[in-house]
Amino acid sequence: MKITSKRLMTVSSRCFKPLLLLLLAVLPLRVSAQRIVWSLPQYNETVRVGAVAVGNAFARDTYLAASRYGGWTVGFEIDSWTGLKPDRLFKYGRVHSSLIFSPMKNRNNGGSTLELMGSNHWAYLWPAVECDKCDLLIGPAALLEMGVLYNRQNSNNPASMEGYFGAGFCVDNTFRFSLFKYGMALQATLYVPLAGVGFAPDYDIPYWLMYRYGSYGKLLHLFTPFNNTAVTQQVALVLPLRGDRLRIGYTFDYTGNSLGGHSRNIGSNLFTIGYILRYQAKEWDR
Amino acid sequence: MNGKYLHRVRVLAVSLLTLLAVACSWNEKGANREYTNTPQGNFMALWTIMDEHYCYFDLKKEMLGVDWDEVKTKYGESISDKMSDRALFEVLCNMIGELRDGHVNLSSAYDYGRNWSWKTDYPVNLSKDLRDKYLDKDYVIAGEGYFYRVLENNIGYLVVESFGKSISASRINVMFNNMALCNGLIIDIRDNGGGSMVASEFLASHFTEKTVTVSYACYKNGPGHNDFSKLYKNELSPAKEDLRWIKPVVVLVNRGCFSSANDFACTMKALENVTLLGDTTGGGGGLPMSSELPNGWVVRFSSAPFFDADGNHVEFGVAPDIRLDMKESDVRAGKDTYIEAACEFINDKLVNP
Repeated sequence: MKITSKRLMTVSSRCFKPLLLLLLAVLPLRVSAQRIVWSLPQYNETVRVGAVAVGNAFARDTYLAASRYGGWTVGFEIDSWTGLKPDRLFKYGRVHSSLIFSPMKNRNNGGSTLELMGSNHWAYLWPAVECDKCDLLIGPAALLEMGVLYNRQNSNNPASMEGYFGAGFCVDNTFRFSLFKYGMALQATLYVPLAGVGFAPDYDIPYWLMYRYGSYGKLLHLFTPFNNTAVTQQVALVLPLRGDRLRIGYTFDYTGNSLGGHSRNIGSNLFTIGYILRYQAKEWDR
Repeated sequence: MNGKYLHRVRVLAVSLLTLLAVACSWNEKGANREYTNTPQGNFMALWTIMDEHYCYFDLKKEMLGVDWDEVKTKYGESISDKMSDRALFEVLCNMIGELRDGHVNLSSAYDYGRNWSWKTDYPVNLSKDLRDKYLDKDYVIAGEGYFYRVLENNIGYLVVESFGKSISASRINVMFNNMALCNGLIIDIRDNGGGSMVASEFLASHFTEKTVTVSYACYKNGPGHNDFSKLYKNELSPAKEDLRWIKPVVVLVNRGCFSSANDFACTMKALENVTLLGDTTGGGGGLPMSSELPNGWVVRFSSAPFFDADGNHVEFGVAPDIRLDMKESDVRAGKDTYIEAACEFINDKLVNP
């Protein structure tokens, strides 16, 4: 059977989600205690990762075109963990931000679409498992994804706003191990929105009419996982580098929804490389 | 490691996995309706896009006898997997051509598929050579597609070839100052194929002193042929801080006035001191949108119908206040019947306001 890039994309997007979740559930048994290259922040301490990202993105929004577009993408990610007061239930705060830009083409290269998409995820995390070998944090999350698709061949409906704001959960897992004497850490993070408000035009309302009549309320639709399936997954490897910490990772972001009478499948596969910074909050910040 | 916690985490992970799997499969049922890139797939994609998004099926059935299901049967018989792309393009263009809508087009490398019978089946009612003669050589260019001069009988004459670009407020002010002593203004939008409604409404806003309800609009809010939103009122407010024209205005229209030029005619007709003279406009009363077939061809269609101030469809054009055809004898004599009649009308208004 001929393996096409589209097929690979479909296989990866459909299989990766359940595989990663299974990995999250099973891995704590398999790892053993090793040197520490990664540890969660103490109270008032923050660990921050800044990373550049390259990869590919795909989008299909039937408001713009009933075709799938795809192409390379560039962007950056900022990840941070903050230690909260130890006497609280949620002992860690987690923020993940990203911004990507992607020029995409349709399958016959006859049309092009530009994508600009940003996201911000906030989570309060409870340490379900905290030990030498691994940390497993779980907690509620607020998720904001916003962006725009600009179809360069539609003169009348060229752009469509994409995104949602919702509440969901975050699972954040770190496994420490060593390889050739070097301490390393494997991190896996999952964000899933469960309910919220998604952005989508009310079927065929042109944005121009929305602006003209001030009917922006038509842009907002309540969602659950049944009409808006979204997930952001990260897998990253933390490596020591001459006393510093480097993080190499993979981020998969996907939103598939049926809101406002249109269906959307928007996602990206990003390979990231970043630098880890750990710092203590200043006295006056406390 | 605490085994109790680990067990809970596993149960949670498996539960979430199940929930996500169910949600994904549920959600992707609708999202994955993608047609194949075959003649049959492209045909079905085009037919379905039109079926679910085109806004004038009932009107076209009533006025033209077009039954979209019958159209599918009629043209579906011509589709075969062995046909060439060019042959497929021809069949698809003929299919959407049944709707006789200038806003319905199929665009590919072969051609821009269209049915312009709304214009070509009617008298032209315009001689561009004659129009140039009236503009003479010293006309003023007030923007892309906007030309004017003061005619010898002291009547202003503005030609708007296209609403592709808006005229600027400063240029309108200068134009009105240049025409301050004129008895009236003729706006010639014959063969103006449209452009931007923002541009047409901006120009129209300089011909009213009060806010006027000029039209209504709605949009498709579902895939059914009758799924429409409520009607929204379009009000035209006077242009703020700019000069406004309060003397008589005659707008010259013919079948070549389409889309936003049709909207301009509809808007101007609702104003007090404006008279439409000529032939019924070409129509194009629906705001168009675009979509795409699996092979990348772009389809354009009307999705938001507009209505005049009395609630009538303007898809088939706006009727003039004074119906007129160009006379061959006038053309031979070097006279434009429309412009001459408009001048006469304005001069009559001076005598009998």
